[in-house]
Amino acid sequence: MFEFVVRRLLWLIPVIFVVSIITFVLMHSIPGGPFDAEKALPQAIIDNLNAKYHLDDPLWKQYVDYMWGFVRFDLGPSIAYRSRTVNDILAQQWPVTAMLGLASFAIAVFGGIPLGIISAVKQNSLADYTSMGISMLGLSIPNMALGPLLIWVFALNLKWFPVATWGSPIHVVLPAITLGTAYMASFARLTRASMLQVVREDYIQTARAKGVRHTTVMLKHALRNALIPVSTIAGPSFAGIMTGSMIVERIFAIPGIGKYYVTSVGNRDYPVIMATTLVFAIAVVLMNMLVDVSYGILDPRIRYN
Amino acid sequence: MKKVWLLGLILTLLIGVLAVGQVKTLYWNLGTEPPSLDPNTATDTTSIQVLQALFVGLTDFDDATMAVVPELAMHWEASEDGLTWTFYLRDDVYWTDGTPVTAQQVEYSVKRTLNPATGSSYAFVLWMIDGAEAYNTGEVESADGVGVKALGDYRVRFTLNQSAGYFPAIAGMWVCRPLPITVVEEYGDAWTNAENIVTNGAYKLGEWVHEDHMILYKSETFYDADKTNIHVVYCYMIEEASTAMTMYEAGDLDADENPPLEDMDRIKADPVLSAELHTAPDLCTYYYGFNNEKAPFDNPLVRKAFASAIDRQSLIDYILKGGQKPAQTFVCPGIFGYIDGVAEGIGYPYDPEVAKQFLADAGYPNGEGFPEVTLMHNTSEGHSKIAQFIGQSFMDTLNVTVNIVNQEWKVYLATCREDAPQIYRMGWCADYPDANNWVNEVFNSESGSNYANYNSPDFDALVEQAARESDPAVRLDLYRQAETLMCDTDAGIVPIYFYTMVKLTKPYVVRTYAALGGEHWEQWDILPH
Repeated sequence: MFEFVVRRLLWLIPVIFVVSIITFVLMHSIPGGPFDAEKALPQAIIDNLNAKYHLDDPLWKQYVDYMWGFVRFDLGPSIAYRSRTVNDILAQQWPVTAMLGLASFAIAVFGGIPLGIISAVKQNSLADYTSMGISMLGLSIPNMALGPLLIWVFALNLKWFPVATWGSPIHVVLPAITLGTAYMASFARLTRASMLQVVREDYIQTARAKGVRHTTVMLKHALRNALIPVSTIAGPSFAGIMTGSMIVERIFAIPGIGKYYVTSVGNRDYPVIMATTLVFAIAVVLMNMLVDVSYGILDPRIRYN
Repeated sequence: MKKVWLLGLILTLLIGVLAVGQVKTLYWNLGTEPPSLDPNTATDTTSIQVLQALFVGLTDFDDATMAVVPELAMHWEASEDGLTWTFYLRDDVYWTDGTPVTAQQVEYSVKRTLNPATGSSYAFVLWMIDGAEAYNTGEVESADGVGVKALGDYRVRFTLNQSAGYFPAIAGMWVCRPLPITVVEEYGDAWTNAENIVTNGAYKLGEWVHEDHMILYKSETFYDADKTNIHVVYCYMIEEASTAMTMYEAGDLDADENPPLEDMDRIKADPVLSAELHTAPDLCTYYYGFNNEKAPFDNPLVRKAFASAIDRQSLIDYILKGGQKPAQTFVCPGIFGYIDGVAEGIGYPYDPEVAKQFLADAGYPNGEGFPEVTLMHNTSEGHSKIAQFIGQSFMDTLNVTVNIVNQEWKVYLATCREDAPQIYRMGWCADYPDANNWVNEVFNSESGSNYANYNSPDFDALVEQAARESDPAVRLDLYRQAETLMCDTDAGIVPIYFYTMVKLTKPYVVRTYAALGGEHWEQWDILPH
């Protein structure tokens, strides 16, 4: 297993290389630059700005310089936020996103998986229809509708929670529900479907034939195996949820990293585009690695060599 | 013992309540994280709002009259030829670290803005200062030749390379505001971080949690601190307009500077909200440019036909709904040099018959043989609605085919710069309240913002003469001629409407409205509520 993890970590190097090259080439090939504005600047001013941010160097040199900084954890200055470095932005904004992400993921996992189990165990019962109904709703309501709806009901009318902004545990509740609901719904449906598939397997029939109680069969024998597809989805979902949601952060005025994924492209803030993309790529690789490790725990038949 | 403890608690609470009762806090929404608090590099309205509170300028604008009024400079004088300007500074203005604000700090700031290494986007507004352009563009290495000089601690002299009657407005801009030299030198770009910054304005920076909030406290070292009523300005950074609106309605914000368009009908119908609504002219103009070099829009008759086919009032009534004013000339009301084109008959009002006649005169009777037209705007729901309305109007009136295309903002700017489409959308907002900032800086044939490729030597001569002229009556007449040439005779562009600002403010806030941006919180008050 140790060897497996090391091997997967080494894979990060080519992944970062490929992702960084593609991102770098793409962002420099879209028209417009960081200093284009409605009020066109004189060329001399643009030249000064390009010189300040070394954008007048040949592209290959800009790339090499960036990557040399990257390996030393120096992600460069933000062009749009003059007094802040990209390191500052990640250090100040990412923890907020991570906290929201953890809370949302907890809702998704601890809400979604039990809902799926109940549905599977009581297939075609009222409980099944109810929890699948909830899941269907959760999947179909987009964040940009659910967020304002929760604000209207629970903040504006019932006054249980603040309308928006960040700062205390109570501020986390509504955005975490908004962000976590869709994930919860898809986890619930996936858990139910794979549980129902697993219960038809021979080893479950064997367990039943031996007289093991229904609940024990379901929770001990079926669930573990049924969680394999769930964890396959959960890994990339976790990477996504931990790198922020532009929409939820915007609706609730949360100082997270999500908006930088979008605004950095609009601003042509090259160092921020590179950093946010690479962080996401690394998160996806690490999460997929965790997923693969979890397979071995969930299903003893899986080996790592 | 127990009683003493209880008495102590009650006393503490009482003092606390009394103290809190005296603290007036304004809950404000900046709308986004301010990109820069460095007066030399800030370019956007959010940063400038905060800078206005933190740093004094040589001059300021009166919100009611938009006249240039004294601030750090008590008064100023210009030489006969209008090339030398001397500003006399107050001697009672201090930084938050207790040191005095001096003329050397003004000189330092101007030279730092112009230093190519600073990378200041707005440095070019100072190119009228002698030697400024050469230093800023790297022609000369030394800042010694720049025409700004501190004469002692409280007098600063500017030498210009052209006479400019509007120079006092430029001198008050953030790029000229005095800087705390030792702090800037010590911390470099990080000098504006909350733990390093030293300021001299009505407010000081207390806390800056990026993307979340910023707390400004009344500065006791401010020279006019006695008149500052509001002790704390708590600035949120809420980007989503509907969230800010909800917080305003929940009482978490004292003002909403940008209520969502889709709520306008509801706000106007609501007895409480409509009373808190304030609509006033904003110093911006929305216009469509024609690429004057691209056939068939290289023919003035074609441009006139399209200019006459826009029903501005219906656009305002049914699409925009913000009480905007129809525009037939470029410079907006409130700016020196504004000409009321609608009243004076300059430019082209909506007249379908006239529009058809112009097109027929151009050789396309009833639109026959007219090539397909591209109307382009940057991607945005608002611009799209306007383009649909106007594009439809072109098609119905002129019987031509209009393709509406949109592009992402910076892609769009690159397109306009390199080869603008036949019709493009653009807007312009004032940097300082003078028509020079408009007709000359935008549509001079040399201007980088002249995407229309409007090229008229007569127009250039008029706006350049107006820039040098000092007699207001003569200048106004020159701008009238320039507007007539551009918006009527040549129909180089078609102005569409003058912006309005729509703001909601709680009734207990006594406030002013800064048309040029940068609200004067130090002049506001909060009544008991």
